[in-house]
Amino acid sequence: MSKIIVMTSGKGGVGKTTSSAAFATGLALRGFKTVVIDFDVGLRNLDLVMGCERRVVFDFINVINGEAKLNQALIKDKRIENLYILPTSQTRDKDALTREGVEKVLNELSKDFDYILCDSPAGIERGALMSLYFADHAIIVTNPEVSSVRDSDRILGVLNSRSRRAEQGLEPVTQQLLLTRYDPERVEKGEMLKVDDVLEILAIPLLGVIPESQAVLRASNVGMPVILDEVSNAGLAYSDAVGRFLGEDIEHRFVTPQKKGLFSRLLRRSA
Amino acid sequence: MSIFNFFRAAPRASAVQAKERLQIVMAHERAGRSGPDYLPMLQQELLAVIAKYVNIDENKVEVKLDRGGDCSTLEVNIELPAREQAKAAAAAKPAEKSAGNDVGAAKRPAGGAVGNGGAKKRI
Repeated sequence: MSKIIVMTSGKGGVGKTTSSAAFATGLALRGFKTVVIDFDVGLRNLDLVMGCERRVVFDFINVINGEAKLNQALIKDKRIENLYILPTSQTRDKDALTREGVEKVLNELSKDFDYILCDSPAGIERGALMSLYFADHAIIVTNPEVSSVRDSDRILGVLNSRSRRAEQGLEPVTQQLLLTRYDPERVEKGEMLKVDDVLEILAIPLLGVIPESQAVLRASNVGMPVILDEVSNAGLAYSDAVGRFLGEDIEHRFVTPQKKGLFSRLLRRSA
Repeated sequence: MSIFNFFRAAPRASAVQAKERLQIVMAHERAGRSGPDYLPMLQQELLAVIAKYVNIDENKVEVKLDRGGDCSTLEVNIELPAREQAKAAAAAKPAEKSAGNDVGAAKRPAGGAVGNGGAKKRI
């Protein structure tokens, strides 16, 4: 029986797809058979971020509608063993996502996979609701910025009232915060919300802090999950977050400004 | 590090303001979220009933539910129009209006005295 994770945020552009790609890759790197599903019907992008856009033939919606078999739509990652991508349709709209259809596909996937990671679209409409409905765990992607924090709080409310676990009175969906685009130098200047501020407001446990990093854009340019950039702070921070998700006790890095010198940078890297 | 910094009062860090604003707006939103969802409906239906007899302005109605430790208060505040207008309106009413959705502003002279009606009920 696999575990279902939803990567969600409410607000758009905070790093859900980047985080989904990185997280799924991280889980696969640690030996778990993982599939990452794009729920953003009509605005598919996970395929680009994962670098498999030219291999999409059938998609999630085709499988829901019985137009293709699940195995025909699943794309096996070329770099990482155990990693699969289920892209979504670029032409349909979110109404194509029926609860029964999504459930059928998730049930079939859960026979084979350890982790199913659902990459939610922005908003709190059908696509987002479907992506979180069956979740066991939710990772809330938030930027240290007012609108993102507010929307995250909203999505937490939705998880607590409209997920399957909430509706059926089961144990609630576990919720963890992934704070992305964090800039310790701006925090130090008092220009950006601190990790602790966001934690105090949202009141959920911290999974990880991903520093603002040029590596993220570089990685998406070439269709590589940023976690594979093992010399970048963002890549390392994602790797730590995956470890924490799996229960490891890993100290948070990159939350204070780094010294600029080359020597100290080397020291930090090796630490 | 310029001489100008010397004269400028230290501005309050914008992150502090961000946190305060978020705390305020979210306290409000969370309270709304946990409130019962029948309030808007209740407001609509109460209005429909009252509008049958009294000419009222939909926008001058407030329905509030406060939950206390041992008792909760349902507060319904309806602002009634001034007496003469109410009479005139009531006389003109039965023929043309049933729900009173579009009554109000036009019939009330600007700045006219407005009677206040409040009702409190323990539930």
